[in-house]
Amino acid sequence: MSSAETATRRPSAGLALLGSELSVLFRRRRTWAMLAAVALIPILLAVALRLSSGTVEPGEGPPFLDRVTQNGLFVGFTAMVVAIPLFLPLTIGVVAGDTIAGEASLGTLRYLLVSPAGRIRLLLVKYAGAAAFCFVATLTLIVAGAVIGASLFPIGPVTLLSGDVISVPESAGRSVLVACYVSVSLLGLCAIGLFISTLTSVPVGAMAATVVVSVISQILGVLPQLSWLHPWLFTHYWLGFAGLLSQPLDASTFADNALLQGGYILVFGALAYGRFASKDILS
Amino acid sequence: MSRKSLKWLPALVVPAVIAVGVVSVPLQAGAAVDLPDKSANEVLQLVANSTEDSFSGTVSKTANLGLPAGLSTALSGTSGSVPRGTESMKGGATAGDALASGLEFLSGTHEARVFVSGPRNLRVQVKDQLAERKAVSNGTDAWFYDSETNVATHVAIPAEATSEVSEELQDATELATPAQVADRILDKLGDSTDFAVGTDARVAGRTVYELVLTPKATGTLAESVSIAVDSETGLPLQVSVAAAGQADPAIEVGFTSIDFSEPAADLFTFTPGDGVTVEELPLPTERPLDAAHPDLGIGEPVVTGAGWDAIVEVPAASALGELSANPLFEQVTTDVDGGRAFSTALVTVYFADDGRVLAGSVPLDRLQAAAN
Repeated sequence: MSSAETATRRPSAGLALLGSELSVLFRRRRTWAMLAAVALIPILLAVALRLSSGTVEPGEGPPFLDRVTQNGLFVGFTAMVVAIPLFLPLTIGVVAGDTIAGEASLGTLRYLLVSPAGRIRLLLVKYAGAAAFCFVATLTLIVAGAVIGASLFPIGPVTLLSGDVISVPESAGRSVLVACYVSVSLLGLCAIGLFISTLTSVPVGAMAATVVVSVISQILGVLPQLSWLHPWLFTHYWLGFAGLLSQPLDASTFADNALLQGGYILVFGALAYGRFASKDILS
Repeated sequence: MSRKSLKWLPALVVPAVIAVGVVSVPLQAGAAVDLPDKSANEVLQLVANSTEDSFSGTVSKTANLGLPAGLSTALSGTSGSVPRGTESMKGGATAGDALASGLEFLSGTHEARVFVSGPRNLRVQVKDQLAERKAVSNGTDAWFYDSETNVATHVAIPAEATSEVSEELQDATELATPAQVADRILDKLGDSTDFAVGTDARVAGRTVYELVLTPKATGTLAESVSIAVDSETGLPLQVSVAAAGQADPAIEVGFTSIDFSEPAADLFTFTPGDGVTVEELPLPTERPLDAAHPDLGIGEPVVTGAGWDAIVEVPAASALGELSANPLFEQVTTDVDGGRAFSTALVTVYFADDGRVLAGSVPLDRLQAAAN
């Protein structure tokens, strides 16, 4: 990861840095443990449902739970809804909070910054790594859900929220869309985590702060007195993917969500740059 | 160290640019619209002339009815803002729940996708959080599907009913020219209502005339009704009702986006999938109340006055005794002189102690005076 190539301003140097960042990230045992834990959510859910004898009434428990026993393809959706409020933000908090603060605490940050133009590039590369983790984590969850669902329950055409029925391949496409939606939803939190990570050299502090921010945002999001604030919270659209599970496909919340997350990325990216570029790197 | 403070510049510029964008984009969309002037009569003709009967779009409904606090609390659980999964803590279904879900549409904001093709094909999809309620009708079958309960309700529409309705529709549309329809509306409502054309505006990205209906009677709770009429097609795009002494409209229903292309034909059929509970519902007869509940004992309502400040009086009935036993009834009504009252921004209902019920879009004292 410490690469002397960053001194030169060739674009390939940025790519090389990104490659090494990704390989470090996905070779960490911590990353694998988190991905395994993410995959465990649908597995636990499906196994518990398979072993229990009672039938689930519609509307009982998390959304779609009653559909799982009829169609295993719903395991992924149910697990996604369960994981969105806390578990996924937690893993994102760990990865994003570690980006800069982790290097600072290891004392490797100054080696990464041997070139004066390196700071922007390093921020971008670190952010890209964390964003890649968002996509990998949600895809892991959906794929694990589909696999365990298919092995424990019958699968077949899926009844969407609008009551229309779609085929199994099309429902796989919808699953991937939902995973993309949730990944995009987490990009704003990623940017917040990156900014917090530039504030400190204690990675655990940055991770905890990022998770706390996501929890606070969700608490504000359920207070009816603050309804004017709700559309501006980065957690506002987190569970808003119903349109992707409806016929005809309704991508309007996808676009709104992407716009909102883009705003958060720009604001907190700029803040992270301001802090990181003006900071004295001592470690 | 100005070089260092310069690094913070993007952190200031980016939020500023976003703030400017947030403010200016809606401003641009609502930039002053100037349409050729039309009288109220001409706008009514434009509506009557409208031949647009195939479109799709998103409809948004906002209600600020000032419902009693007890009711708002009872409804907040169904409004979708509460995370799913905590809902089961509310307990099992009760009569109050049924009442609450019926009243749910009277509070808060709802969004629905609407598809219309011709006079018979209709599809409405109400969006909830991670759930949806859908109604489809194509002239021969009507379906209602609720994703939360996974129940589809089917109503078969007999052929005679469809032809009757379409004949009536044809009668209505053929007999009168748009000018006649406009005249008739003005004639019928002209005694009680002032018609005016408000400021031109933009709704769902289209330019609209605003038709404003104001009551001539004083002291009504409803202040005015505004109808936004698409300047091109004559299709009403938004209706909002203003209540006296309230800045926000009491009810506003309107398109947030609309597309005038023909929706796909397969949207108007419905085949329930595996695992969906299908319930058959007989077509409601003309007098469902009399047939189903002959012993309800509700007399004919009496209407006093005409126009906006009319008061409806329902004579004493035993069925109302059951209603008042409902705990939700206690919560949403207030104790007033000589009975209980349910008041909203637009309608007041007065339950007199002798069992009579009076309702109208007037303040409570007018109802009490009418009861004596």
